Amino acid sequence: MARAATTSDVFNAIAEPQRRDILVLLREGERPVTELARELGMTQPGASKHLRVLREVGLVQDRKAGKQRLYGLDARGLRPVHEWTGGFERFWNESFDRLDAYVQDLKQARQEK
Amino acid sequence: MSSTERGAPGQSATADREIVISRVIDAPRELVFEAFTEVRHLSRWWGPEGFTTTTQSFAFRVGGEWEFMMHGPDGTDYAEWISWTEIDPPKRIALRHGESPDDPNAFESVLTFEPDGAATRIEMHTVFPTQQLRDEAVEKYHAIEGGRQTLSNLAAYVTELVRNEVQA
Repeated sequence: MARAATTSDVFNAIAEPQRRDILVLLREGERPVTELARELGMTQPGASKHLRVLREVGLVQDRKAGKQRLYGLDARGLRPVHEWTGGFERFWNESFDRLDAYVQDLKQARQEK
Repeated sequence: MSSTERGAPGQSATADREIVISRVIDAPRELVFEAFTEVRHLSRWWGPEGFTTTTQSFAFRVGGEWEFMMHGPDGTDYAEWISWTEIDPPKRIALRHGESPDDPNAFESVLTFEPDGAATRIEMHTVFPTQQLRDEAVEKYHAIEGGRQTLSNLAAYVTELVRNEVQA
């Protein structure tokens, strides 16, 4: 399988723990880079570098707000990850669908007794 | 995802190696619980649509085991093994789940059954020994569902990426 360029792959982007920390913080709302760097104990250039990677894979969006630039989470970018982790969940969601149907049959059968 | 696990580095210690799935079933808790306790019930719903099971042995008690074969719609068989570690009717079941009794990658799930009006909320909380084992289990279940080739490629790819990151 061909390797995607480092910055174009969402799996690579979130393999870095500090980038995951950034995403967790951004889940609470938009923040400027200075605040992210402070809260996570990173240098500002370090945080900016991570944000650039996250933006390039579509996990983070930025917008200008006055003199500041605010960074926010774009969770749609996590879709490939969600789909990848979906196997176990899907197995159980489908089993629970069948369980639901089966229990409804059981319930009806007992009521008819 | 619950809102209680917010906050950067110090999240729940197992957050990166667990999977939580919940479901509300419109039936009383005793009845929903019962569907987990006998093989004649379990065999009717275990696995995605199109799957069937053949049971070799079944003993629903703490320390008891369920050994069975799961048959996929494409004819593939999967050996499965369950051992119950806690049974508290009609509230809670804890079990270990693997391919055989000596499966080193077996993992633990805790099922809780809570009344939700006239319905029942099931929550299944699965904690894997390591994040890598969680990912492998996820990959395995993808394979079970048929996305075999693509996903094993993807898994190998991601594993490599993570290893490179660690070394970098």
